[in-house]
Amino acid sequence: MDTKVLQGSVLAITDNVAVPLNEVLNAVRVVKTEAIEETNPLIITQASSLSSLPVDASSTDLIISISKSSVFPGDKLFEEFFRVLKPGGEIFIHQNSAVAKSTSKSSLERKLLVVGFSDIQVVQMAEPESFGIKGKKPTWKIGSSFSLKKPVKSLPKVQIDNDMDLIDEDSLLSEEDLKKPDLPPAGDCEVGSTKKACKNCTCGRAEEEEKVQKLGVTMDQLENPQSACGSCGLGDAFRCSTCPYKGLPPFQLGQKVTLSENFLAADI
Amino acid sequence: MEKAQSLLILYATETGNALDAAERLGREAERRGCPVRLFSLDEFDPSSLPSEEFVIFVVSTTGQGDAPNSMKAFWMFLLQRSLSPQWLEKTHYAVFGLGDSGYQKYNFVAKKLDKRLADLGGKTIMERGLGDDQHPSGYEGALDPWMLSLWTMLYNENPQLFPKGLDIFVSDVKTLDQPKLDITYLDSDGGYSQSSAQIDLKSLEKEILRSRSMLSGKKSKDKSKPDCFLQMVKNHRISREGCSKDVRHFEFEALSSTVEYEVGDVLEILPVQSPEAIDAFMKRCNLNPELYIIVKPRNKPDCLENGESASKVPIKLKRFVELTMDVASASPRRYFFEVMSFFASAEHEKERLEYFASPEGRDDLYQYNQKERRTVLEVLEDFPSVHMPFEWLVQLIPPLKTRAFSISSSPLVHPNQVHLTVSIVSWTTPFKRKRIGLCSNWLASLDPHQRVCIPAWFHKGSLPAPQPSLPLILIGPGTGCAPFRGFVEERALEEESKSTPTAPILFFFGCRNEQNDFLYKDFWLSHLQNGGILSQEKGGGFYVAFSRDQPHKVYVQHKMHEQSVKVWDLLSKGAAVYVAGSSNNMPSDVLVAFEEIVSREGGVSKEAAVRWLRMLEKGGKYHVEAWA
Repeated sequence: MDTKVLQGSVLAITDNVAVPLNEVLNAVRVVKTEAIEETNPLIITQASSLSSLPVDASSTDLIISISKSSVFPGDKLFEEFFRVLKPGGEIFIHQNSAVAKSTSKSSLERKLLVVGFSDIQVVQMAEPESFGIKGKKPTWKIGSSFSLKKPVKSLPKVQIDNDMDLIDEDSLLSEEDLKKPDLPPAGDCEVGSTKKACKNCTCGRAEEEEKVQKLGVTMDQLENPQSACGSCGLGDAFRCSTCPYKGLPPFQLGQKVTLSENFLAADI
Repeated sequence: MEKAQSLLILYATETGNALDAAERLGREAERRGCPVRLFSLDEFDPSSLPSEEFVIFVVSTTGQGDAPNSMKAFWMFLLQRSLSPQWLEKTHYAVFGLGDSGYQKYNFVAKKLDKRLADLGGKTIMERGLGDDQHPSGYEGALDPWMLSLWTMLYNENPQLFPKGLDIFVSDVKTLDQPKLDITYLDSDGGYSQSSAQIDLKSLEKEILRSRSMLSGKKSKDKSKPDCFLQMVKNHRISREGCSKDVRHFEFEALSSTVEYEVGDVLEILPVQSPEAIDAFMKRCNLNPELYIIVKPRNKPDCLENGESASKVPIKLKRFVELTMDVASASPRRYFFEVMSFFASAEHEKERLEYFASPEGRDDLYQYNQKERRTVLEVLEDFPSVHMPFEWLVQLIPPLKTRAFSISSSPLVHPNQVHLTVSIVSWTTPFKRKRIGLCSNWLASLDPHQRVCIPAWFHKGSLPAPQPSLPLILIGPGTGCAPFRGFVEERALEEESKSTPTAPILFFFGCRNEQNDFLYKDFWLSHLQNGGILSQEKGGGFYVAFSRDQPHKVYVQHKMHEQSVKVWDLLSKGAAVYVAGSSNNMPSDVLVAFEEIVSREGGVSKEAAVRWLRMLEKGGKYHVEAWA
């Protein structure tokens, strides 16, 4: 019986600590759709912080990536994959994760597209929570042309009802303009006074901000208000941001703070 | 003799911030001796732009990355391919944008405008400035330094703009500008009005027209006069009693004339302020409610800015306040605090106000005033020693604004009636104070038996009335379903009368809980059954996402994906898409869902789908009405 030997080199890479050889071979079989019994993959583990591959450019025929995490492989690695694959070489990304499956799929597809892979396809795997994506490094050389393998379906024509011929306003934006603006560092999740919740906050930050600004005033403070700074009794306009009397009407020191009608009822 | 050089400032404002920034720019220019002309972009004829030498643009970007309504016509003009690259060769310009870096399309309007003006031959005075809501002091964080550079650059370009030179202006010296208005006080109205007991519509209309045109001076008569007066005939709560959301269904009838509108149009209402608030304000400011006044611009005593002759008919002071000055809802702006400081007799109050108006105090002012939505009345009560002359109050207190609502009825189905679907606004401020929305709460408090006259205006929104033969895909979660109620009932009527062939409607609705806020449930179901307009047989559909009825969130876009095939089917048949609602994320989530559906069902790449949908938008087949 013919034992099929896989011609060409295979690179397997994972962010796990260890991966059984069988898993790599299964992945190879999915891509090659044949029974391959002999192959000698180069296996790299714990690759989550790896930014370059110890492999020559255009030397690999097949790359298998195995991961449970939705952030592996990272962008740098994708570029490396592209570099080390021969033109016509294939890549297969196996994701075993219940986490945000649909967004993982489309973001992986996008990443492959952006780096230059073509023929990108999602592959259903046997296990319910895993999926695979394959891609190919195009075989064209610089300057050559080729026809698209898939017939491109044309979408229905849209009637443009234009009285005036207008330029496309999106063309006015530069690359720089289109980049997502630099938000304050992610560490600034602490609800403070710098980053503010959006007006229509859905993530819950607005609610957290409200909580932090809690009316931290005690009954005692209401009965016999004291003020070291002297400003608390003057009203909100004069109070510090940490004042416990924030939101309350002005009062006299030592005299019980009356929560005026205005405060309890809806403001007029 | 040469015409005196002046600086033209053009602004496009959505919520008033760009107007504030533009007014501030104008004041700072005038303090330095530079004459200024200030206009909103919808008051300015774009074809006269090339004859302007120095123009500053102050433009806001709304949440969707769109230009404010007042800029749309101007922008369309500017985008014409037929304009040459030398069209603005005589014009020097600078752009200041107001935006929020929390959004992907940060300051897109200002960026696009800046580039387009340059492409048309305009010369930049300096680099564009970008104000950011996310900055601790809001847009002013960027505006202040940008302005300082602007004066220097402008002066270098053309010293004639600042006849006394820039050095004359010493920033430490705080002097009060001249008030812009001149007010005449009278004991009586000289017999113009009838006895105050009689409130007939004609005199109410005159009062509104008079007071609002007195106040603005610039606006033409047409906008000040209400299109009609309405009377509420129904006030029903359509969300479940006891649940956190109070949503009302209001029905109005026209009093004076017949109402003329189309489905999808917008109704603007002038709310009535609380009598207690008005009285408190009058008392606080020592105003005599019995006095009559005439308000005119100070430099042109006999005419308004647009050349029309000013009204010589007096109006009762209290009535003027009620109709035009927002004392218990809108927040005053920084300049208000600056002027207050001149009229504070208590030293600590004067200091605090000066601090609030200074660059150092910007952040604290923002916390105290804007974030907290402090009202004019509250601010005046917090600084009891301030006695501001009425002229200044009239000039600086935010004008009472009309509130706009999407109409939820069809005039064909309910002749002479207008229906609204309104979510009653209430919230808790950062300082834990309970606040309520002025207009929604006032409407909710009205009893049809009171027969209150409501001044109203009609205008087109972003949802053009569809032809009966146009297939529709409608996405309207929450109160976004309002205009679509009109669409559906009108098409059902057209179908019934068999006058014209009608195309199917596919409608995606969303709300939190089936039991709590499934607005107009019976209405939608009635059109779903018995071969109704939303039914399967007719080729339509009605799908609801109940976001909080299960542990994971289900939104309209999820329902869209479930009906991917149907959506694509209708799109390929030339359907138009209408999206309406009150969330910032929803319209973009819906757009992404469409992109994915088109890509998947159409068998094309994501990029091709995105381009196709953009074409749909440009072709007038994709409409969004999103409110804050």
